[in-house]
Amino acid sequence: MAKLVSLHNSVHQELRICPEKAESHGAELNMVPVMLSEFLKLAVQFPIALTKNKETGKFVCVAMLGFAEKENLFWQHAKLDTLYTPLHISRQPFFLGRNEAISNLAADAGDQYVVCFDTESDSLVSEGEELLFTHTGEETPYLRKIKAMLAELLDGETHVKAFVESLLELDLLTSMQLDITFSNGESQRVNGMYTIDEKKLNALSGEAVVKLHSAGYLAYIYAMVISTGQIYSLIQKKNARLSLAGLNV
Amino acid sequence: MEKPVRSIVIVGGGTAGWITAGRIAAEHQHNSAQAVQVTLVESATIGIIGVGEGTWPTMRNTLMKLGISETDFIRECNASFKQGAKFAKWVNGADDDFYYHPLMLPQGFQKGDLSDAWQRAGLAQSFSEAVCYQEAVCEHGLSPKLITTPEFASLANYAYHLDAGKFAGFLQKHCTSKLGVKHVLADVTGVVSAENGDISAVQIERAESKTPDQITGDLFVDCTGFSSLLLGKHFAVPFVDRSDVLFIDRAIAVQVPYADEDSPIASHTISTGQQAGWIWDIGLSNRRGVGYVYSSRHTTETEAEATLRNYVGAEFSGLSPRKIPITSGHRELFWKNNCVAVGLSAGFLEPLEASALVLVELSAEMIAEQLPACRSVMDITAKRFNETFLYRWDRIVDFLKLHYILSDRKEPFWVDNRKPESIPESLQALMSLWKFRAPGDHDFTSNNEVFPAASYQYVLYGMGFKTDMNWRSASETERLFAQEQFALNERAVRQALDTLPSNRELISKIKQYGFSAI
Repeated sequence: MAKLVSLHNSVHQELRICPEKAESHGAELNMVPVMLSEFLKLAVQFPIALTKNKETGKFVCVAMLGFAEKENLFWQHAKLDTLYTPLHISRQPFFLGRNEAISNLAADAGDQYVVCFDTESDSLVSEGEELLFTHTGEETPYLRKIKAMLAELLDGETHVKAFVESLLELDLLTSMQLDITFSNGESQRVNGMYTIDEKKLNALSGEAVVKLHSAGYLAYIYAMVISTGQIYSLIQKKNARLSLAGLNV
Repeated sequence: MEKPVRSIVIVGGGTAGWITAGRIAAEHQHNSAQAVQVTLVESATIGIIGVGEGTWPTMRNTLMKLGISETDFIRECNASFKQGAKFAKWVNGADDDFYYHPLMLPQGFQKGDLSDAWQRAGLAQSFSEAVCYQEAVCEHGLSPKLITTPEFASLANYAYHLDAGKFAGFLQKHCTSKLGVKHVLADVTGVVSAENGDISAVQIERAESKTPDQITGDLFVDCTGFSSLLLGKHFAVPFVDRSDVLFIDRAIAVQVPYADEDSPIASHTISTGQQAGWIWDIGLSNRRGVGYVYSSRHTTETEAEATLRNYVGAEFSGLSPRKIPITSGHRELFWKNNCVAVGLSAGFLEPLEASALVLVELSAEMIAEQLPACRSVMDITAKRFNETFLYRWDRIVDFLKLHYILSDRKEPFWVDNRKPESIPESLQALMSLWKFRAPGDHDFTSNNEVFPAASYQYVLYGMGFKTDMNWRSASETERLFAQEQFALNERAVRQALDTLPSNRELISKIKQYGFSAI
């Protein structure tokens, strides 16, 4: 279970993070929430789809990493074998927390959030990469990079929400029917995933297309449509894993 | 072709009026010259009865046909989920005396019947508990779905509990703004007859201007409630009194607030047997609706109020009970000439098994889907409508009566209910058959039966009825099938208890987030 503590330059001056180990937070994720700004980078490797948040029932965009629960097919030899690692994983072990004391005042919007980190994370190391603060308490480039990622995530959630609303408004979503049989004969049904309904997309009125285009959504929509084909490379990964497992027997 | 049916006038604006108006408009009212115009004329002064708070799962289909969002409906009508009825104290009145009539068929019902196997196995579990996981879901106060389940889709079958007053207003808004139903606020003061006896128009006095006027129409739907203005008063279609079978003739109802906004909401209607009737207890999202329906031949009003006070507890003193007289029965016909009655104007039975709203939905559906194209075929539709609904009323009367005749309670109300002369012959015949075999689909002849055979099984075996199946032996295949189904049911119980949130939790989430359409 993650235990979050807010980051402070005097208290955490000696804190070191091993970014490679931070990736292990994604070892057992079969999907991760993704932001629109990541779509083009993700589409070359992952299927991008939508799923519903279990608590709220609201749609979120996700990259699929595996089929079964806790199955991350990109997690190999204790590291993530990806061309691009989704922000949701690369920002680990850092999170944004609401700063209740400040948010009550009419302070800058940026001040309403504080950077927190997971004190239980395996990526906390006593020596090696990366320090968060210099000996004078200044933020290191590494921490600045992390903070930029956290800001992108925060910002990204609003964009995803607006994007999903547009898709729903135009009735462009459809549930994905995935019944996969792997090379060893094992089959799996993947439930709860949604994608763009291409028929409805193609039948959109000119007016609706212009609206999507001016919002900048068309590229994301097509990235999602094309990325669906990555399900085959995901199946291939799974088959490769299964045949390796078969050899070991 | 002769003049087509184009203009439909609904008189009365309770839930019956608006559901009928909406169904017809949704089916026939399009933006074209051939469109049907639906007009609903409603008195500004006559209120609605509005105690019908329990629905059937059919309501989901009705709302979908009307193009209503389930999220809006739940939020605006203070609706909650209903997964069946729990009958407490109907058999002997003891504290542990209860059974369920859930909304799902017994496990594997389409493939085979479990009632015989259940009897032979001598299980400690009651019939409803052994064959349907929904009882456990209700006992734990759980909802029938998740926040991620799309609108109107279900994990466990469900209906609704709703605020009838709010529902009528909600439907009015939807029907007038989305479906093009014309809404006229006026009192109906008279009827203009055509030569053939049809209604050619209703005379009205407009609420605002107090000016007389009239509304012409090709078909008139009487939704005027107990007053049955068109069918009963104008056409003088006789009323068939069924109080010789069903003795309930009074209701006293209160609205009970919850202790706080997180109080659990029961996921089923609780119906508790009393000295001279029974008490309904329906959990909406913001309050409970509780009422005692009783027979005035078997108790007094004072006693009845005391019974209800005793059930509700200390909170009762601050509440204002509403008293409603009930006459059990229905009209001899429901469709005469160019007038059809829907809702209380057609008839009413005690609210056991929530038959009022479902009859409205079934009537509205048949009118909308079988709308006569022109006057010359209307009499054929009328005849079919009358046959269908007379059959349905008879089946409902039988099924309601079934709940009373298997009781062992000793109060005069219950003893009188078991007297053979009060039991319809059709029910007596079925009871004779069921001594030797379980209720099955072939016992009923309609392709659109109101209560399926499974419902009869839930009540019969829930109340301890024994079917003697010793005249035939169960095959090994049947035994194995039953074993498998009982095991499947146990698994379904575990799965449901693991995944479903409480009814309250889901209702709160719907208010906060809403369901998705897909």
